[in-house]
Amino acid sequence: MADSVAKAEERRLPRVKPATDIIEKEDGFYIYLDMPGVSKEHLVIDLNEDELKVSGKAEYALAEGQKLGHVEFGGGEYFRSFTVSHIVDKERIKASLRDGVLELHLPRQEKAQPRKIEIQAG
Amino acid sequence: MVIDLSPFYGATTPFDRLFETLWPSMAISQRGTAYPPVNIGEDDENLYVRCEIPGMAIADIDLTLTDSSLVIKGERKAERGKYYRQERPTGVFQRVVNISGGVSRDKVTATMRDGLLEVVLPKSDESKPKKISIMTV
Repeated sequence: MADSVAKAEERRLPRVKPATDIIEKEDGFYIYLDMPGVSKEHLVIDLNEDELKVSGKAEYALAEGQKLGHVEFGGGEYFRSFTVSHIVDKERIKASLRDGVLELHLPRQEKAQPRKIEIQAG
Repeated sequence: MVIDLSPFYGATTPFDRLFETLWPSMAISQRGTAYPPVNIGEDDENLYVRCEIPGMAIADIDLTLTDSSLVIKGERKAERGKYYRQERPTGVFQRVVNISGGVSRDKVTATMRDGLLEVVLPKSDESKPKKISIMTV
């Protein structure tokens, strides 16, 4: 019974694919996800082999006695998955959540850093 | 600013709208829908204006309250680097919310949490609903 209630609750929120930027910089790759309304407690990041899964929940509970006159957005369940390239150092992936934007930093593996090849004059 | 005076200016076909929804422009100024999305709520005491503006600190948002409107202004800046994918909107945005009825201008507060801006506009005493007692003669 409690399970079915919880399921109905989850189904109520629409599933949203968060807007994402993927950028390469000198120190690796950066993924930015717009997840407004998601607090740190409601954010889950899973890394399984090569698959990076990000999910979060934004719920806007309305205070007692308050009614909405004009609605353009609502809560949602954010979900997005990424395939991580083998040149990323999976041990050092960092995540930070600030002002509703999740930043994932995926540094390159040391040996994948571009390097100049010395030419030996024979 | 581009002024286009051709007879077809401003005409959007259903195809245009379909393309706009499938591949929205990254520049906020090129979008068909207003940015940021706004919810307006109300209870007996206050008016609530809520906005989803992820990635903006409260110091970067310019809020102006005039006699009849609340103006939310700011700019979403793009990160520098080599883009593989860009879906987050960038650019300057402005949204005007009309406020009808009296608001105590001095007591307006704004908070930003997890990319959600909430402006609380307390109603002035004159605009609060009042009970009128009827006296029997």
